[in-house]
Amino acid sequence: MVDMVTPYEIGHGILRYIIFYPPVYQFVIIPGLIAALVVAIFIIWFERKAAARVQMRYGPYEISPRTGGATQLIADLIRYSFQEIIVPRTVDAVIYFAAPVAAVILSLLPLDAMPLTTNPAFWPIPMDYSLLLAVALMTLSPIFVMAMAWASNNKFSVIGGVRESFIVTAYELVAVLSMLSVAAAMSTYNLVDIVQAQSSGLWFGLLDPLAFLTAFIATLMTTSGFPFEIPDSESEIVAGPYTEYTGLMYGLDMGAAYIKRWVFSVLMALIFLGGWAPYVPGPGFVLGYLVPSLIVSVKALVIMAIMSFLRAVYGRYRIDQALGIGWEILVPLALAAIGIGFAEAYFHVYAYMGVMALAS
Amino acid sequence: MPAKIEVKESPKRGILGRIISGNVGALVLGVKYFLDPNRFTLMYPHEYIKLNTGYRGFIVLIYDKCIGCGSCARICPTRAMRMLFLPQKEGERAKKKYPVINYNRCIFCGYCVDICPTEALYHVPYHDIVYYNMNDLILTLDEFQKEPEYATAKEGIPVRYIFDERRGLVKVKAQEPPQGPESGAAPTASPAPAPQQAQAAQKQGESTSKPSEGGGSA
Repeated sequence: MVDMVTPYEIGHGILRYIIFYPPVYQFVIIPGLIAALVVAIFIIWFERKAAARVQMRYGPYEISPRTGGATQLIADLIRYSFQEIIVPRTVDAVIYFAAPVAAVILSLLPLDAMPLTTNPAFWPIPMDYSLLLAVALMTLSPIFVMAMAWASNNKFSVIGGVRESFIVTAYELVAVLSMLSVAAAMSTYNLVDIVQAQSSGLWFGLLDPLAFLTAFIATLMTTSGFPFEIPDSESEIVAGPYTEYTGLMYGLDMGAAYIKRWVFSVLMALIFLGGWAPYVPGPGFVLGYLVPSLIVSVKALVIMAIMSFLRAVYGRYRIDQALGIGWEILVPLALAAIGIGFAEAYFHVYAYMGVMALAS
Repeated sequence: MPAKIEVKESPKRGILGRIISGNVGALVLGVKYFLDPNRFTLMYPHEYIKLNTGYRGFIVLIYDKCIGCGSCARICPTRAMRMLFLPQKEGERAKKKYPVINYNRCIFCGYCVDICPTEALYHVPYHDIVYYNMNDLILTLDEFQKEPEYATAKEGIPVRYIFDERRGLVKVKAQEPPQGPESGAAPTASPAPAPQQAQAAQKQGESTSKPSEGGGSA
């Protein structure tokens, strides 16, 4: 027999099984597409204001002086989305259109491999090898940047694509090595266990600062944020791989870079800054899923804000300087970070702390 | 007291020391400016730079002092100034020529003001004035005797840039009462035009009556 379905149950069902359905929620809503868009707008605004403060200017201001020109970014977004998309005759049209979309989707994909709570009902996938999976999924999207460059059929695009491949090869190696050093320290690939082990307040970023530093620098470089935008440096090669893109397609390209940086930041918040650490996820989808995901997002936002602040301080490296730093300094440092991780595992730094955290 | 000159000698460090100290120094400086910004952007329509009295701005003719010698028209490097027969007073025959100016051509070099033997021309200390079309830039003798309206001073506040020893260039509010009758480069054979000139920033309404007033006192 079928009972009457109350509106409360319908609402609860929609919330629980559609909005808070973990693959959808993490991919689209909180650390995913919508949150990434909001974060990108905020971060671009913050980047411009912070760089302006350091450089004795005001940044965006005149459009709404009370909010410090915050609506400027919305106006820019609207302008981008309604610009005409000009497709040159010489491009390989299918890949030209498919590559940015694939890049955006594949940059978001690692979010589905990350846990945002301890409750197994809110894990998108089983979490046993989630760190390895997340790191592996992160390395997928740069291939589409190279595809964009090749399909654009333009000298600047090809140069930019080659630069992208150089940078990504050098720095994603560093990022992967330094993020995997946590696996060496805690002898697990399970991100939930990693976060739980840090819930005592001793974050992995404090125990192994070398790994945090190398992961930070590698993220800056490999996502080509502002001062380190070697693949698409405006003053050298027009816009690198994105030279032939206009309007919304260019917005997608830029968005893909920001989303990639955001995803890296979320993973770094989980690994190095203890994820939802001071908070213990409770029952239900508000206390057990929404709140921890917001905490992780705020931590990732702080990392991104620091990254974008560095725009005001540093200059751009030449491609050979960047590759030299990557291969000659950062790879040995990342290996040393893994060594520190092994040493911590040898001296059981995390063994009993993890047990304590799991027991509590 | 003049600042002491110090020669900073960088202590000898290894490559690691240089990398660390360089990066940390840059970051500390960036954070310092982020927390305590020293911004000196001129918010132009809301603020404007208070210029000194010697500034070569727009040029105004004092009709009663002009003897019609034509030196200004002859020295003008861009031929912006011309001498015209313009009888202005009734019942008076056109005996002499008077200068008129075309701001399409003027480069504000100030030669005409310098060469005028009776100091019948003077500068006003502002230059940001907008005309609607190019015909308006060719002034008649009547318009040439009025100080042009300084619209920026109505809505903006005056500021001044000074050099601070610690902070570098800083923007400060210019003091409200402008300097009185003392004026260095301004043409003040008679004291009458100079205060008018200084007050021109504040009161725009009486600018029409000014030339005759100045003429009366001279």
